[in-house]
Amino acid sequence: MSNKEKYIQAFVETLSIEPEETVGLKYQEIPNWDSVGHMGLVAAIEDAFDIMMDTDDIIEFSSFEKGMEILRKYDVEI
Amino acid sequence: MIQYTPINIKTWSRLGSCGAFGIAAMELPEIDENIMITTADLCFYSGLERFRTKYEDRLINVGIAEQNMIGIAAGMAKEGLNVFATTYATFASTRCADQVRVNMGYMQLPIRLVGLTAGLSVGVLGATHMSFEDIAIMRGIPNITIVAPADCTETVKATLAAAKYPGSIYLRLSGTMNCPIVYHDDYHFEIGKAVVLQEGKDIALIANGPMVCKAVEVANMLRDEGIICTVLDMHTIKPLDTDLIKKCLGHKLIITLEEHSVIGGLGGAVAEYLSGMDNHPPLYTVGISDKFVKAASYEYLLEEYGLTVHKIKEQIIKKYNSRGK
Repeated sequence: MSNKEKYIQAFVETLSIEPEETVGLKYQEIPNWDSVGHMGLVAAIEDAFDIMMDTDDIIEFSSFEKGMEILRKYDVEI
Repeated sequence: MIQYTPINIKTWSRLGSCGAFGIAAMELPEIDENIMITTADLCFYSGLERFRTKYEDRLINVGIAEQNMIGIAAGMAKEGLNVFATTYATFASTRCADQVRVNMGYMQLPIRLVGLTAGLSVGVLGATHMSFEDIAIMRGIPNITIVAPADCTETVKATLAAAKYPGSIYLRLSGTMNCPIVYHDDYHFEIGKAVVLQEGKDIALIANGPMVCKAVEVANMLRDEGIICTVLDMHTIKPLDTDLIKKCLGHKLIITLEEHSVIGGLGGAVAEYLSGMDNHPPLYTVGISDKFVKAASYEYLLEEYGLTVHKIKEQIIKKYNSRGK
């Protein structure tokens, strides 16, 4: 599974959405991406890429695209 | 149904004890159709936003009126509803002491009172919001069971167990977000029964709340120095699991660890139990000394009160080496 597939999978499983709904998705745009869902998503991404995100990055992680940008800091290219 | 998967456990830890309570709360209507939750203006901080959205008619936010909240919860409990009530631990215990004593203690109405941010975690808000006397107050009132979970996994389990508990219960939640994980997998939790995390022979470390994780760390450090510790997660302070404490009587030293005053908490409960015996190992209580400090960060306050792993280890080694002197 590629990094992008893993990344999308984290959204799909955590937020209960379809893969095609991920592009352009923003924090709090759907009910499941609330503060609880956000932490679940972070945990799933950390688990998928074996990283530990800084608190500042968790706060800045405001959209599907922003998440990809943040992951570059952890040497995860998507 | 709640799954104790590694990702869920990590998510609960990320959310902290209040968020973990909110996760468990979503399960409560599945356990009992009579579930109601009241909160004193702490819907978000109790992790109850999702609950409010899904079960709007089961949540009553009474506003900043904690004493009324207990009265309202008591009325609902009297009518046969299964009621949780949430507020800061300090308000649950000090501000509401009379309502708790009469309704939960004397009348034995089975309210599940959830004390949020107990201990030092909200230190930046100052002494008015920190709570380190709540267990002492609750312990003094008959008919109230007191539970202080070790981590967010145990918070989930304790919340679900509280919903099925026959009597009044005070659920003491503490720690911060990114709460250290003690339980990485599912395990058996029962109110009133402590959990043996490590078995040893030299020192018995009896802890609750966030100090359980520290007790495990200290035990691991002491093992490197040839001191083998038993570690108990004494999540229920009242009734105390005296059967397990009895098994510690062969140790050279008993240490209690808690993020609560050294007066009237877990240390006090263990001391009271041991006081009825002719012989027992020396007891040393690690906790918050009997003083108020200024508002500060959680980490600063832990350092100030000597509750970091290294400072706890120093205190224990000193006590261990001075036995019999």
